[in-house]
Amino acid sequence: MSEGALAGAMDIEDYLAQGGVLTSPANVPARYRGELLRLMASFVDSELAASAGFAASINFAPGIKERIAASRITLEKADHAERVLAVMAEFGTDTARYQRQHDWAARVARDADLGAVRTGGDMRLSVFHYPIDGWADAVVMNVLMGLATGVQMTELTRLSYAPLAEVFRGIAPREARHAALGVEGLERLVADQAGRAAAVAAVAYWRPRVAATFGVAGSARHGMLARFGLRHATNAELLARWQAMVAETLGPAGLN
Amino acid sequence: MSRFHPLKVTEVRRETRDAVVVTLAPREEDRALFDFMQGQYLTFRRAFDGEELRRSYSICAGRHEGVLKVGIKRVEGGAFSTWANENLAPGDEIEAMPPMGKFFTPVDPAAEKHYLGFAGGSGITPVLSIIKTVLADEPASRFTLVYANRAVGTIMFREELEDLKNTYLGRFSVIHVLETEAQEIDLFTGRVDAAKMKALFAGWIDPKSVDTAFICGPEPMMLAIAASLREHGLSEGQIKFELFASGQPGRAKAKPVSKADLAAGDATTATVTLDGTTRSFAMPRQGQSILDAVIGNALDAPYSCKAGVCSTCRCKVIEGEVEMLTNHALEDYEVRAGYVLSCQSFPLTDKVVVTFDE
Repeated sequence: MSEGALAGAMDIEDYLAQGGVLTSPANVPARYRGELLRLMASFVDSELAASAGFAASINFAPGIKERIAASRITLEKADHAERVLAVMAEFGTDTARYQRQHDWAARVARDADLGAVRTGGDMRLSVFHYPIDGWADAVVMNVLMGLATGVQMTELTRLSYAPLAEVFRGIAPREARHAALGVEGLERLVADQAGRAAAVAAVAYWRPRVAATFGVAGSARHGMLARFGLRHATNAELLARWQAMVAETLGPAGLN
Repeated sequence: MSRFHPLKVTEVRRETRDAVVVTLAPREEDRALFDFMQGQYLTFRRAFDGEELRRSYSICAGRHEGVLKVGIKRVEGGAFSTWANENLAPGDEIEAMPPMGKFFTPVDPAAEKHYLGFAGGSGITPVLSIIKTVLADEPASRFTLVYANRAVGTIMFREELEDLKNTYLGRFSVIHVLETEAQEIDLFTGRVDAAKMKALFAGWIDPKSVDTAFICGPEPMMLAIAASLREHGLSEGQIKFELFASGQPGRAKAKPVSKADLAAGDATTATVTLDGTTRSFAMPRQGQSILDAVIGNALDAPYSCKAGVCSTCRCKVIEGEVEMLTNHALEDYEVRAGYVLSCQSFPLTDKVVVTFDE
């Protein structure tokens, strides 16, 4: 790093539009900073809410193996929140206050309809406001959301703020493991009649709510995020990819 | 909460006509804070005519050297780099934040890796730190450096790089690419662009042998090199960037305060710029934050915690006065420059002009 611009240096927004990468809080433009922090806050809030929601599911677990899986997901999602919060700290975020800011375990009524709108004071994805009401519910939610996170990770691991992209590249395989644990749980769940019925009901409940996390098609903000290199694919493309993966995963379990 | 600590200048060595290498020593009690990773940078601050300036410079020492050294190249019109080149002397004190940055990979003494580095001009400083560190601490790894400069006279650390070649025979090689001077091999003249990268990979460097690539230089060079590395099969995780220069916060000029505008009244005209568009609207003087008023007027301003903690909603007051109730995120110098957390700010004047774009 050094001062000022050399001959041949270019406008930072042109650089980003051409796929350039930024490396420190000192070289991000103001609007980029705002969108980057918004993106990080949404991830941190979602992971903390997911962890808090899953904590209760540990006691729904029917056996030790399931209990360990749920504990691991609870632990690692909190750890992922902490890693991204550390990147926010470099922009000035007071991390000690931030993590105490909200009741991450708070949930709305099971039959509330939030759509894709953020509610409450935090930036968690709307899906993390709904309560989990049993083991089958926890497993299905984790499978559907795990696949959605996998799709989102294809975007997050290549975003243009290098220190954050690197954190996401560390997180991605562990999030993928959470989804895989879910799929294993789902296979055991549908092995009997009662489990299958519960899984069918849970898929009907969670499928539209997880789909809503991909946001609206034709989002006005997408153009700017794409120019900044903070997004590549559109919401509609990501949603379609998730739908295909869901069909592929639920098909063998007879849940489509 | 000052994150700055004094460093004592122990040596200033002229490296080229317009670059110096400055050796710095922390106070005994700050020693652990300034323990650095190869490739990290220091952020300095200094007041020029009453205005605070912050600049980041990469450390050019290897970890095992046990000293802090930064390379500072003078930039035309750059107040800080000119001062460092012309006035800085042993015995001076300068304030710096502890080392930051992630332009490195973990060192593993058992590793047998091939690192590829690209440096443009003074972009060599962090790359040199990495080269020295991995050559010393990973005895089975090797490093290939492609180093772009305008002319021989402007090459920083030329002798030091030659010495490294001799010390680590067979493990370190340098390809100098000079923009304005013809060399024996045509390939080594001109700029490092897509065509040159292709030629380098065709005859000089086997892309399949590369574990990690480091790039530090001006933006167009970074773009060309990164694109070529991807084309030749390197994944995002294998390419490490350090953006050199540009976009750093400029002078923290204090905003002029006009007390005359601090009149009593119950409404304010707010003018807000976001994404290049400016809109004016009326808002109450009490009970509604600037952020809520902006969102209420269908402007999609960024925010998150709404509690003065995260700083996502930061904006800059251009005209008028606001009162910021809580601030856990902005530093004093940002506040002096006019930045506020819009979620915590309420208008005090008849007219308030803010921007989210600066």
